[in-house]
Amino acid sequence: MNIRIIFCAGVMALTLGASSQALAQPKLRIVTSTTDLDNIAQAVGGDRVSAIHISEGYQDPHFVEAKPSFILKLRNADVFAFVGLDLEIGWMSLLIDGARNPKIRQGGSGYLDVSRVVRVIDVARGNVDRSQGDVHPQGNPHYWLDPENGRRIARLFRDKFSELDPAGASTYAANARAFEARLNAAENQWKPQLAKLKGKPVVAWHTSWRYLAQYTGINIVGFMEPKPGVPPSPSHLAGLIQTMRRTGVKVIVMEPFYDRKTADFVAARTSAKVLILPPSVGAIKGVTDYISLMQYDIRQLADAL
Amino acid sequence: MRTIAVLWASITMASALHAQVPTTPSDSAARAKAKADSIAADSIALIRELEQMQRGNAADTTRGTQVAGPSNPRLIPDISAIGDLVADLSPDGSTQESGNRFDIREVEVAIGAAVDPYFRADFILGLSDLEGIAIEEAYLTALSLPAALQARIGRFHMPFGKQNTTHRAELQTVEYPHVIQRFFSPEGLKGSGFWVSKIFAPFGFYQELQATAVNRLGDAPDDSVTLAEPLNKRLSGLGYSARLRNYWDLSEAANLELSFSAMTGKVEQPLGIELSFGSVTANAVPARQSDLGIDFTYRWKPLERALYKSFILQGEVIHQLNADAVAPLAPLICAPAPTCPLPDFGRSLTGGYVFARYQLTRRSFFGTRFDFVQNPAASEGSTKAGSTYLQFFPSEFSKFVVSYELLKPGTGLKSVNRILLQTTFAVGPHRPHPF
Ligand SMILES: [Zn+2]
Repeated sequence: MNIRIIFCAGVMALTLGASSQALAQPKLRIVTSTTDLDNIAQAVGGDRVSAIHISEGYQDPHFVEAKPSFILKLRNADVFAFVGLDLEIGWMSLLIDGARNPKIRQGGSGYLDVSRVVRVIDVARGNVDRSQGDVHPQGNPHYWLDPENGRRIARLFRDKFSELDPAGASTYAANARAFEARLNAAENQWKPQLAKLKGKPVVAWHTSWRYLAQYTGINIVGFMEPKPGVPPSPSHLAGLIQTMRRTGVKVIVMEPFYDRKTADFVAARTSAKVLILPPSVGAIKGVTDYISLMQYDIRQLADAL
Repeated sequence: MRTIAVLWASITMASALHAQVPTTPSDSAARAKAKADSIAADSIALIRELEQMQRGNAADTTRGTQVAGPSNPRLIPDISAIGDLVADLSPDGSTQESGNRFDIREVEVAIGAAVDPYFRADFILGLSDLEGIAIEEAYLTALSLPAALQARIGRFHMPFGKQNTTHRAELQTVEYPHVIQRFFSPEGLKGSGFWVSKIFAPFGFYQELQATAVNRLGDAPDDSVTLAEPLNKRLSGLGYSARLRNYWDLSEAANLELSFSAMTGKVEQPLGIELSFGSVTANAVPARQSDLGIDFTYRWKPLERALYKSFILQGEVIHQLNADAVAPLAPLICAPAPTCPLPDFGRSLTGGYVFARYQLTRRSFFGTRFDFVQNPAASEGSTKAGSTYLQFFPSEFSKFVVSYELLKPGTGLKSVNRILLQTTFAVGPHRPHPF
């Protein structure tokens, strides 16, 4: 009897010890440049990571200010995951240099350029210069709006987190599988809507909608911007209006952070309506995770077209 | 002159307005229709072109490994150049150092790259008619030091006050505030030596301490100024500075920086005559000069409207303390009768400015600045100036500025109206936007 009690107490002590050790196990500190990467990192990392982001979903990811408070976030990060393809070129080096954290510098274990695993379109070949606007020569960086890339991002996080926290490898693998299963299930639900969207002509503000267009099959016949990053000019809009009338465009897709008045101006002269879609998690209320972001955008498009 | 100013302004603004204000297309419907399709194709032309070029590499793209190879296989450093052109259309003649009406004030060439896993190198050369080629900055930064430290050796803008650390071409005004021009130089204050910085946050907000030790305070005067012994013969003759930065996010849209700076070193004070000190003669003596500064920057930029709306309010006050090394020598200078009036070198001077900038549209900003700085001669009171700026950015890489300044140089001195136009433009890799 006594031996049993002692044995039980011993087991309890061991499990307590083990669980308190698990509690004491510091979480992997993940900082991401965008909310979308943050959300997928949380889905994969679960309780074993703490993830925070720098730019908000409702702000233009091309123009983020290098606030010193972000330096504090990066100072103790184990991983800094960013979109890459020059999306963060206007601020990232200032924050990384400012943070003095060798882990997240290029060559460090936590420097995670997510673009290296995704499917990239619009890669420039041949000569590129700024007369073509604010081009991203290495390819279009708005790749998260393609679910296949969502899956690849999750797998990249699974591998990186497992490398830095081998004890959590099985958890990360399970979480990544669960994320993919949820995404696959959601994709099956979207099928009727995707079928409806195929080939429908739309106008987009920026090239950021190219990935969603490729996934949904909608046909972007023109952009509000005459060239990437260049604000609409009257002559460009005049031409765009003609194209929209000719092709029967019903929708102008744009992010919430661009000037709606200009889009309304064009819509008023065509039979199109302006559809403000969230480009990222958190861009509007209710879009709180990656899958609901994709779902929201697809449903809105399907309802409008 | 006014005609030229108006002309310049209308040329630079014309493209602005042309690109920005949507006109009713029905006004010019007939003309527009003819051009329509080719223009409409503009934005998608690039995309289609890219697609076509990509098709040859389709296998790659579906595998997702198509960001193949490094983007800079030959490890060429980042090279960029900034042109800084100034036109001075002031009614009473040019107020530029060069005396020119139209001037290439400076061409700045910047070269930078990682040296090895431990260091980064930055070189910034300034080319101008006045100075030829000057090493504006050249430093090695140690980026992987322990304890949140960062260090530089080389030449750099002295971390004193807010605007002095910004390159002139990247200022939001055409020139540095008068207090910086007067206390330091029209191109700000640089130093050659050692720089170290540490960040910390014991109270939950961002703090950074920057300290330097440099060869001397400011630029050396020309060869006609002679000292009995070099300024920096003793370590006390070097320049030293410290700056404590404090930064708070007030909200998601607003933030505040409040920082304090201090600096000390020695400068030459002219004797007016040649005196012998032991076996050597000199026409100047070293005197301690110290500066104390406080600066604040309030920024507002609502994230969801960040492309179109922002506001900055910035202010700085600098107090300069001067030791008088000439006065004790008065009996020698004014011998035999010590009656000659010597300038009051020991006068402490204060100066400062307040600057505000409001964003009007996506690409245009309106700014205004008020300056004051005490003149060296007490009888001349203070220099005061008020200036306004209209900035237009066709893109992140080019800028046009029209500015007007009313400059009151001091008691008994005539006011000056200044009209300045500035164009800056940059080529090369996208550099980060300084915060
Ligand atoms: Zn973009």
